[in-house]
Amino acid sequence: MSFPTRVFGSSRHPLLPAGVAATAIYVLFIGLPLVALLVRSIGGGDFLAGISTSIVLQALKLSAITSIISLFVTVLVGTPFAYLLARRQSKTLRILDSLVELPIVLPPVVAGVAMLMAFGRTGLLGGTLGSAGISIPFTTVAVVFAQVFVAAPFYIRAAKISFQNVEIDLEEVSQTLGTSPWRTFWRVTLPLALPGMLGGMALSWARAISEFGATIMFAGNFTGRTQTIPLAILSAMESNFSAALAMSTLVVVISALILVVVGFASRSMRRRQA
Amino acid sequence: MTQSWLRHSIGGFHLDIAWSLEPGQVHVLFGQSGSGKTTTLRAIAGLVRPDEGHIELDGQVVFDSAGSVWTPPHKRRVGYLPQEYHLFPHLDVAQNIAFGLSDTRDSMAQRVEELLTVFRLTGVAGRRVWELSGGQRQRVALGRAMAPNPSVLLLDEPFSALDMELRRELRAELRAVLARTNIPIVLVTHDREEAVALGDSIQILEQGRVVASGTPIEALGHPTQVRVARLVGIENIFTVTVRERDAEDGALRGTADSIPISLPFVDAEIGEELTVGVRAEDIILASEEPSGLSARNNLPGKVVSVHQEGARYEVVLDCGIVLRSAVTRSAITSLSIQPGQTLWAVLKASSFLILAEQLA
Repeated sequence: MSFPTRVFGSSRHPLLPAGVAATAIYVLFIGLPLVALLVRSIGGGDFLAGISTSIVLQALKLSAITSIISLFVTVLVGTPFAYLLARRQSKTLRILDSLVELPIVLPPVVAGVAMLMAFGRTGLLGGTLGSAGISIPFTTVAVVFAQVFVAAPFYIRAAKISFQNVEIDLEEVSQTLGTSPWRTFWRVTLPLALPGMLGGMALSWARAISEFGATIMFAGNFTGRTQTIPLAILSAMESNFSAALAMSTLVVVISALILVVVGFASRSMRRRQA
Repeated sequence: MTQSWLRHSIGGFHLDIAWSLEPGQVHVLFGQSGSGKTTTLRAIAGLVRPDEGHIELDGQVVFDSAGSVWTPPHKRRVGYLPQEYHLFPHLDVAQNIAFGLSDTRDSMAQRVEELLTVFRLTGVAGRRVWELSGGQRQRVALGRAMAPNPSVLLLDEPFSALDMELRRELRAELRAVLARTNIPIVLVTHDREEAVALGDSIQILEQGRVVASGTPIEALGHPTQVRVARLVGIENIFTVTVRERDAEDGALRGTADSIPISLPFVDAEIGEELTVGVRAEDIILASEEPSGLSARNNLPGKVVSVHQEGARYEVVLDCGIVLRSAVTRSAITSLSIQPGQTLWAVLKASSFLILAEQLA
């Protein structure tokens, strides 16, 4: 690491030793539990046995399918929304903009209760949905609902900032060159915003995989139908401890991989665009 | 050629302008920032929708507020060169130039090749745009704008991002390229030299209104109003009181702060106060009292300051009235001009511009 040659960057600044100490404490605080998990799980030797039980495999499959559908829905709806937030200004949009992140700070359990109040049998839309023969709570669809609810803001926020960083003049020039606004989005805006959008997708996807509180409230804990990895971990803690350990390890590894791969990809993409 | 016109208000700013474009001619919109020149350019491109107006491009009505005609920018076929160029950072030089081409692959490659040659970019065709020099960037932007054979070329301060020396060089180059096309060109600038070097016709804008128009040399070199003289940067503007008229040739003699001044023949009464303007480059400096000159005004004065202004030096001289003279670097050295020194300012009577206080 290199510091600029300034007073505040010099090694004599009193905050720097404090910074080094704080960094060490923080890294230990976060790292120790994760290392302990890996040591217990892999070192115990029953990682493979734990991971190949039917409950784990079902949960793994369900988590993969639901989180990918959630990401797809989030990108489909979140992208035009983020573009609107980035490019237009109005009082309504400003209010919406400040509320976008509400699901991030809300306890997920509250999100689950709220969704029950909206889509549950006795909820606001429950009657309408019921007469159409549709029931959402405690189904796989409910899992996707819960994941989108809590995870979408991560993507929307990142996409909005990425779009804001694409100069509007570039879109204008593109149009004067005979490219329609729609084609301009694909040819100019999207390629330039993509690195940031990918970062948002990664965060959103990782959050969807980790989703627990809203899911257990709104979708329940049914093996093969609504029991995603985090829910399966909770169940396995009582019945099959090595499976719980194996799944926890898996989630840590997958999350870390997502961060590393996407971080690397978006960095190299940015390098190509200066 | 039919006239285009527009009226547009943004907050307290009102733009009101009418213009017509000729094939192969460069029309200059001249003015300070905020005068409405860029807004006019953007309205022609379709990036601004005026409150009312009528805009024609190549015989096609692209905007008419009365007939509710509105052609979006991507259907107008304009070549637009924005001030900061705004090249696409995710594409290389050749891809930037090819951006507006929708032909078959073969004719597209041929056209790109042709433009790379015209703009001397063949060697950097595969480079990313941020690796280019300022001059190369400008040429890529121009090539990109001209590639789809636009019906009009819109240039917004094409040299403002470049340094002085490069400007001169590229101006000659741009003139050569523009001479090859037979489309109308609109050039937005606040640079006098640029307007004269490239323009065939000019409109001078101030706060959204056209205050002067004509050929660049006429409008910029011989302004007839005080406000236009200020806009085009006439360095010396002061008041002369008319004292007497020469019986033979009708030339006027007057005083400015009791300093005697000879003026050319103009229609003015004795005792009348005239506002006059003189360009800094029309004031000659002499280190000794000149004799045997045809020039009528020889004013001694003390040098107040000397400073560099672009490629030239401005000498501020206190002759009782303050005069600004523009000279070259070699003049500064050969006369060894420095503050405190006494110099003579030499002005021909005919170099005075007589300015009207009010708009005609």
